Amino acid sequence: MSLRTFILGLSASFGVAWLAIIVIPFFMMRNLAPITLSPSKDGSAGVFFPKRTGRIADGASVYAANGCYLCHSQVIRPTYAGHDLYRPDWGGLKDDAERGDTRRETNAYDFGGESFAQLGVMRIGPDLSNLGRRVDALHAAGKDPAAWLYAHLFNPRDNPQLWQSTCPPHRFLFDRREIKGRPFDGALKVDAGANHEWVPKADAKALVSYLLSLKKDHKPPAALDFSPPKPKDTD
Amino acid sequence: MSSTLSSPTDQDTLLQAAIDRSLRYPVMFFLTSGAAWLAVALCLGVIASAKVHNPEFLGNWACLTYGRVYPAHINALVYGWGMQAAFAVILWLMARHSGRQCPDAVMILTAGHVWNLGVALGFAGILSGNGTGMPWMEFPPYVWPVLLGSYCVIVMGSFNQFRVHPQGRVAIPQWYIFAAMLWFPWIYTTSNLLLHCLPGHPVMAAGINAWYKSALVFLFFTPVGLGAAYDLAGQVTGRPVSGDALVKLGFWSLAVIAPWAGMQKLAGAPVPYFLPYVGAAAAALLFIPICAAVLNMVRMMRPWRETLVANPTLQFITAGIASLMVIAVTSVVLYLPESTLPLTQFSLSGYGFDILALYGFFSLVMFGATYLIVPRVAGRAWISNKLVKVHFLFSVYGMITICWAALIGGFQQGMGQENWKLPWIGVVSVTNPYAVTITFAWCLMLFSNVFFFLHLILMWRLPARPGARHALGEPAPAMPGHTAEDIY
Repeated sequence: MSLRTFILGLSASFGVAWLAIIVIPFFMMRNLAPITLSPSKDGSAGVFFPKRTGRIADGASVYAANGCYLCHSQVIRPTYAGHDLYRPDWGGLKDDAERGDTRRETNAYDFGGESFAQLGVMRIGPDLSNLGRRVDALHAAGKDPAAWLYAHLFNPRDNPQLWQSTCPPHRFLFDRREIKGRPFDGALKVDAGANHEWVPKADAKALVSYLLSLKKDHKPPAALDFSPPKPKDTD
Repeated sequence: MSSTLSSPTDQDTLLQAAIDRSLRYPVMFFLTSGAAWLAVALCLGVIASAKVHNPEFLGNWACLTYGRVYPAHINALVYGWGMQAAFAVILWLMARHSGRQCPDAVMILTAGHVWNLGVALGFAGILSGNGTGMPWMEFPPYVWPVLLGSYCVIVMGSFNQFRVHPQGRVAIPQWYIFAAMLWFPWIYTTSNLLLHCLPGHPVMAAGINAWYKSALVFLFFTPVGLGAAYDLAGQVTGRPVSGDALVKLGFWSLAVIAPWAGMQKLAGAPVPYFLPYVGAAAAALLFIPICAAVLNMVRMMRPWRETLVANPTLQFITAGIASLMVIAVTSVVLYLPESTLPLTQFSLSGYGFDILALYGFFSLVMFGATYLIVPRVAGRAWISNKLVKVHFLFSVYGMITICWAALIGGFQQGMGQENWKLPWIGVVSVTNPYAVTITFAWCLMLFSNVFFFLHLILMWRLPARPGARHALGEPAPAMPGHTAEDIY
């Protein structure tokens, strides 16, 4: 076998797969066509464009740089690939006050504003696809959801319900500063020593804004709604 | 050497000695700096693992938070140690097979320093909170062109050596090494360009990242490890691997199957459906090339059971090949869609698999290579046989413990995750004992590798002792009827 044939063989064996699973899917997904809503099935016309509010790009980079993706996933798999949908508060809420059962699988339009989908490495902590929804409706019902998240980031184990949590503390996202004049409204309600307070830094604000934007349970258009019939036997 | 052997000609011996001498600085530089990064990576491995079960451990330090220490640990292991050990082996092996001296040691050394600078920059970037959040590609985006450029300079000479090699005399180990040299820049450039320079769909970006991880393991580390294992086993036993059908099957099936694997990590994610299934099928099919290679190695080494007990290179290679067989079996078992894949997709098993490939197979073979190469290029025997033994035992037992805990613990964790009636905190507590075990095992490996690093430094820094080559790393007597010329 000549050197040329050898290199050709190596390039062909690699190149076919490279084209088929990397290059072609990359460019096809890059121009993902928007979904046109069908008035008969979706009840409205126009284009499906899920909105997200918050500091998505900033917060996503803080999320990435501090390795949240190592323990938290952001994907709700269809039932053939896992049981994520059966958990009562992962894919949405099982009993949303207004919309009933909002659970659904993740779709390709759920990562708007992000350049890299943090699907996750391991699940040492719970999935965060609907963290924003969960904090709003369950953890901080009737209270300030951002304050709940700040307290959680500062020390997850301060919350008596989460005393077994293995989430690391992120105290470095907060500043301990001297109180001059009136205490800051957004200061954490933790002991910071005499005449001192803990306040979130810019990174913490971006991260919390991003985390609160994680509400991926809006109703998908009929063309994307692959959800299996909701199981009756969930708790 | 056995008296039944006819000695190689003086000219050959002189040529080999000259090649070894010409490689002294580049090879020792890559191995020593690689070993230093390995010690750093293992140190961070201990810290990261301890944080899984004890989150308050070093909890006040931003740069030591779990989310930065863990990527720093893996990236130091891959780019600091793995790649540099591979460079040393590539340079040495290609030079010896082509019968040519190291082309330009100064340029390679300069590029090697640039590589280390790139890794150090990336490492500091991760710890200071500038990581990209893409597994195994966490170095800040300005690092990859530095690494790619220095890679090209480092291997360019070896590439040319292969090119000018006389026709018909290409040895099997060279196939593997050359293929790895060709595939790495392709994989690395594609992934970095598509993830850092061309904005694409975020989920496809995650898919490319998953493919990159798998491709780096199976199209770079595996071929380099296999090439080195074939070559070293051939040298120690005096019987080079022959190019029969099984060897060809092993090589070409790896080339055809491995590029398809990796996207099984995205099962259930919103990407085209065929991608995760193709990935899972390819991962399972990797059993074929790996099994073929393992069979070949066993065939080569079986007549040398007595040598195996005494020769550290063979011991390390045997342990590495055993890990490779475990990889073959686990890659079939771990990624069965709709069966085991949901259990392992987001559990410790993935980590166990990574460590098995990076440490269990690749690093153990590289250690084997180090124990053979260093005495030759440094011109002196290893200082302490005991240290070598300690390194072997602690590495192997540490690695077995980590892989056992991560693979088995991962399955238990996965079953907990899938049991949606179990509150989440119950799943976390299932993982804890395994995390403690892993910390303990990393401590063992750290202990052994700090001594490995010191041993290497001493080998390099102490003056050479000519005539001390008939020591640990010297080839065992060849089989009667085979001459040393047969090796090449």
